[in-house]
Amino acid sequence: MVVLREGMCPGLDEDLLRDLRAADIKTVEDLVSSDIEGLAQKCSVSYKALFAIRRVLLAQHTAFPVSGADLYEELLSSTAILSTGNPSLDKLLDSGLYTGEITELSGGPGSGKSQVCFGVAVHISYQLKQSVIYIDTTGGLAASRLLQMLQAETSNTEEQMEALQRIHVFRLFDVYALLGCLYSLRSGGLQQASVGGGSVKAVIVDSVSAVISPLLGGKQNEGMSLMIQVAGVLKTMAKDFNVAALVTNHVTRSGSGEVQPGLGVSWSHIPRTRILLERVEKAAAVSRPSLRSAKLIKSSRQPCHIKEEFDLQWWSRSEKGSSGKRKLDETDS
Amino acid sequence: MQTYGQEGALNTDTELSHVLHDSKHQAAFYVEENKPQDLLRSFISETGLSEEEAVEVLKAVKGGGGGGSGDFSASLTALELLQKEEELRSIVTFSSQLDESLGGGIPVGKITEVCGVPGIGKTQLCLQLAVDVQVPQCFGGVEGQVMFIDTEGSFLLQRVTDIAAAAVRHCSLLAEDDEQRAATETFTVETVLSNIFLVRCHDHVELLAELHLLPDFLSQHPKIRLLVIDSVAFPFRLLFDELSQRTRLLNGVGQQLITMAINYNISVVITNQMTTRIRDGQSHIVPALGECWGHAPTIRLLLQWEGSRRLATIFKSPCHMETMVQYQITPEGFRDADQSEMPQSKQPRMDTDQSAADPKETSS
Ligand SMILES: Nc1ncnc2c1ncn2[C@@H]1O[C@H](COP(=O)(O)OP(=O)(O)OP(=O)(O)O)[C@@H](O)[C@H]1O
Ligand SMILES: [Mg+2]
Repeated sequence: MVVLREGMCPGLDEDLLRDLRAADIKTVEDLVSSDIEGLAQKCSVSYKALFAIRRVLLAQHTAFPVSGADLYEELLSSTAILSTGNPSLDKLLDSGLYTGEITELSGGPGSGKSQVCFGVAVHISYQLKQSVIYIDTTGGLAASRLLQMLQAETSNTEEQMEALQRIHVFRLFDVYALLGCLYSLRSGGLQQASVGGGSVKAVIVDSVSAVISPLLGGKQNEGMSLMIQVAGVLKTMAKDFNVAALVTNHVTRSGSGEVQPGLGVSWSHIPRTRILLERVEKAAAVSRPSLRSAKLIKSSRQPCHIKEEFDLQWWSRSEKGSSGKRKLDETDS
Repeated sequence: MQTYGQEGALNTDTELSHVLHDSKHQAAFYVEENKPQDLLRSFISETGLSEEEAVEVLKAVKGGGGGGSGDFSASLTALELLQKEEELRSIVTFSSQLDESLGGGIPVGKITEVCGVPGIGKTQLCLQLAVDVQVPQCFGGVEGQVMFIDTEGSFLLQRVTDIAAAAVRHCSLLAEDDEQRAATETFTVETVLSNIFLVRCHDHVELLAELHLLPDFLSQHPKIRLLVIDSVAFPFRLLFDELSQRTRLLNGVGQQLITMAINYNISVVITNQMTTRIRDGQSHIVPALGECWGHAPTIRLLLQWEGSRRLATIFKSPCHMETMVQYQITPEGFRDADQSEMPQSKQPRMDTDQSAADPKETSS
């Protein structure tokens, strides 16, 4: 849903906008699907002018047909796969996070969503030497933990500091601030972040649900449209700048105890890949409270419902041997 | 000497801040991000401000500490964040074991939730912190004031006085140099009590209203370093019928609290009750207010009985492994369980006369 605005295209001026609103035409969709002839009379504007406006809007907002071959070509030339740094998660994600896409982590409190986000940020900034945007909407980002994770990678403090400087943090706690941030990142901010070394490869939003859910389900449906706006700008940003978007979401529990990602059906179409994180509750895990399971619940590449276990302490493992390439089982025992 | 975030600055002009706080205007602002002049025009026509004022407001929003824009003045690198974290002192709990597992105490700039059954010591810990946050800087303290929101009527003045007296005595025995001796002159039970701002809220509406007004109060009282809400659960218990409404309200509360914690450099400490939940045919005792609320606190501490021992577990934290320590509640307040392992190295034995005291008379 795109609201009609003055100056969106030539001829769409304040007066016309007012007349259109009076005729209950508020969005691009409304205008495009309206009866132009009748509308021209109602708004006392020439049919030709209105037709031209519609054509421009259509050009701006329509999806164009593309051939599968072109798509594939584009995919090969531009998509990068960013390893998360954790072998179990990479396995689930078919090698890692894909640029141009939105990947979602959902899970209850303490399920490890933020830990995974930290791990991804550290891996991209340290191993790949690229920049990361980290948007923290819950105050859960602990730089001390990032440092700890880096210390597991290298004992060189210089390198640790450099890696920390490639992680750009925004701390904002309401959806308007989030939208503002995403919009200005999309309109140039991302390139700005790349100046200081390495280009931005990932945008992490931990969490989207924290700022959206306070507005959902009320009498006004403001929350829903804001959620769609967030989704839209994230999607286009991921595509246009070829970055991986990683978002976190909370979960809801049905009466029968079944766990599902939050934010409802409309949101469920937004992430290309969804992972559900949970504590491992079995007896063997009592001595290892940091054990977590990750389940693939939506994917276009892998069969769903495959499951992997990993340990949050994996990121605290001591650094030696081929760092970053060690297997989960090595920390077992 | 300190910046209190954009909100603080704006609150000096209530009219402007009022305009800004209206979320609708913010929405309009962001939707039109590409066309500053259009934005300005519509902003002016919507708010009735003069152009000059409007420019001021927008500038303030743009450069805001709230981080409203993707402009990189609003961001900080993880390295800068690390430095910030290291600058902020934590509030000691007077249990050295708990402090150690928390990396120095209850952190400033974060929300810490204390969960536990009645009588386990939640309120005791809150009262202890209300005193501890005032420990002078030369003793390694935060030297701040405290805002205490009491929703259960459990703030007992006599108990605070006892805890304060013990803390004051503790510091005066520790005082070594002139600076510390001078500090003990002003760190007295009277000053401790006068630095506690107490608010009683009787239901969730009063609590929500209070939280709404709090940012203004915090900007007028920049020395406040601790906000206690004891408890969040109690005022919301009556909303049990409308679970979705409660969840939504609580989600909003969580965001309000973290905003204050970060913009005003305060530690937010809240308490929560426990409730039974049936899952897989088994009943579990879990924190109240629903699973969703659990995302809001940065750190969750669980206080629980194990036989006659009291245990504190950090069961959620972005930077701490799950850790469990033992503690006790003495007449002086919240302490390590084992007296031989008391906090600071130069341990004044202020509690020798209490060794026979019954430690379990106090309640949460
Ligand atoms: N240094 C560490 N070493 C090992 N495990 C840790 C460490 N720090 C945190 N953890 C684990 O991570 C858990 C918290 O995970 P995380 O912060 O990712 O939760 P989350 O899914 O983001 O929750 P929320 O939705 O509430 O933000 C802690 O409870 C702890 O078990
Ligand atoms: Mg988190």
